[in-house]
Amino acid sequence: MDMEVSRSWRDPELWVKALPSVILQTTCFLAPLVMTFVLTFQKTQNFQLNWTWNLATWTDVFSKPHYWTILGHTLVMAVACVAVCIVIALPIAYGLATRFKRLDSEIKVLITFAFITDATLKTFGWVLFLDKKGAANYLLMQMGFPPETVAFLFTDWATLLGMVYNLLPFAIFTIYLSIDNIDRSLILAAYDAGAGKFRAFWEVTLPLSRPGIWAGSVLIFLLGVGVFLEPKVLGGGKSPMSAELIRQTFETRVNWPLGAALTLVLMAVAIFVVLLFSRVAGMRKAGQ
Amino acid sequence: MTDGPILSITGVHKSYGAYPALKGVSLDVRPGEFIALVGPSGCGKTTLLKQIAGFEDTTSGTIRIEGQDMAGVPAALRPTSMVFQKLALFPHMTVAQNIGFPLKLRKVEPRAIATQVEEMIRLMELKPEYLTRYPRALSGGEQQRVALARSMISSPKLLLLDEPLSALDVKLKKVLQAELKRLHRSVGVTFVHVTHDLEEAMMLADRICVMRAGKILQLGEPADIYYRPADPFVAGFIGETNLMPITVTGRNADRVTYTSSEIADAQASLPASLVAADVGQGAALMNVRPELIRRCDKDADVDCKLPATVTEVFTKGGTVQYRARSRQGHELAIEIQGASHLPMQLGEDVWLGWSKKEIWVLKPGEA
Repeated sequence: MDMEVSRSWRDPELWVKALPSVILQTTCFLAPLVMTFVLTFQKTQNFQLNWTWNLATWTDVFSKPHYWTILGHTLVMAVACVAVCIVIALPIAYGLATRFKRLDSEIKVLITFAFITDATLKTFGWVLFLDKKGAANYLLMQMGFPPETVAFLFTDWATLLGMVYNLLPFAIFTIYLSIDNIDRSLILAAYDAGAGKFRAFWEVTLPLSRPGIWAGSVLIFLLGVGVFLEPKVLGGGKSPMSAELIRQTFETRVNWPLGAALTLVLMAVAIFVVLLFSRVAGMRKAGQ
Repeated sequence: MTDGPILSITGVHKSYGAYPALKGVSLDVRPGEFIALVGPSGCGKTTLLKQIAGFEDTTSGTIRIEGQDMAGVPAALRPTSMVFQKLALFPHMTVAQNIGFPLKLRKVEPRAIATQVEEMIRLMELKPEYLTRYPRALSGGEQQRVALARSMISSPKLLLLDEPLSALDVKLKKVLQAELKRLHRSVGVTFVHVTHDLEEAMMLADRICVMRAGKILQLGEPADIYYRPADPFVAGFIGETNLMPITVTGRNADRVTYTSSEIADAQASLPASLVAADVGQGAALMNVRPELIRRCDKDADVDCKLPATVTEVFTKGGTVQYRARSRQGHELAIEIQGASHLPMQLGEDVWLGWSKKEIWVLKPGEA
């Protein structure tokens, strides 16, 4: 039945069959990337793009620490967001997968709702809540706290709060799926072997939900590196992150070559971090 | 060690919502015994095992292990160990880590764990180089042995086996059945083995507990179950059998008299030892195993006989099975040792006879 797959690159049939995929990849992914790369060697003058091949943009990128500070800040925020999301999502996902098994389908619908509610809306909601005259401060004042106890709107903490709030469903969903996939008899086997609830979680559930934790981490990290709404709305734009910097460079400063270069740097660094991540994860797996 | 039962189950009920899975089960298991819980799917045998293991609370009734009430004692603290149907080996641990896991949880120091794991490996006849491999790299039979080793290493009082052989192919199953028996003899631990395969239960167990719809129908030695079934369901579950309707007309200490519209019996009576105690006057069933029935002559001197027509012949290698229809339309199964010359031909009218030594008379009921 099974024919061995040993096709030569010269096989014309292979090319014909691969064509749709090749066209799609080229037009939607490769071409924009190449254009972005080409852009970085051009110049803008009087808000106009000049086709002059030069390295001025790249020297600018590598000589100004400002860009790298922002990039570093972005990475720190993204990693912090990953950590907080996982720590919060793990018990929630565990609870949903084990305790509320009967509500399985309802839970999945609710998580999907979290995805399709607009992030802008939710982020502005937090502004109303955290504002000096907002609901949070009002409630705390009623409880006897001094006025403006919640003064972290327009700080990095508020940005982080917004990021975690918007990206948390991704972590819950991926971890939930991997915990849900664990054979229940494995947990029973752990109890039977003499493990208490916590020990069974630590020795069996947690290691087996690692694929979900990694998937959620990578997803949140990549999305977290690209956020611009939260630093702008909740962080007040005081310490912008890379995505916001790129947007400004394109839109406000109309410096397309620089924007393109910053995009590529962000992409490269993010990919590097993810590869490093998976390398470490892979090594831990092999070492078990 | 006390002489009392190691496991004592009294009036255990278990309901899942409105569905009663166990309806008053009582059972005593002797120390060192190999007991098999047998029954069709949904009879409650696995539910009962879960109650013993402590994975679920009983709705009512008590379970005692070595005289100690297990109510409220979590699975982790019970002196039981379970071998799961799907084995439940931890995929992220090596064979050595899997087997040593129960000891690790008991805070045994690593060196002592390693020694005991090696002992278990030897007992289970597993190769030492498997220790560093992951379960998925092992064959089904090897995984089975690892699961057994993991369950045995903590020296449980009761080893609970939840159909661990059901997923294996026939050949491997036979090998592992023999090994289970050997293991049971060599370690002296009490085994409670759940299976839907009666042949397996007969092979392995000292006593068999036949269950149906949340109740125990019969508890006894394999020969009891096979030759003296308590009701038609047990008789039929054990393998193909012939249940012939008779009418009991009288009973005293020695003999039971009966009539039958089909069976020709010169004495028209049976020794009382072949009749279940609960059979009184009225309708009853005579259980005759297929291998006890032989072809005979019309005038032959056999205890019981009846005329019938051969309707099917199945050659099964070592044995030959026949189906025959009696004059009143009852279907009979007959099994004989294979012979190159068949004693009966398809469509032939024959007389079938059997001796009264190995029959059993029981009360009619649901089959």
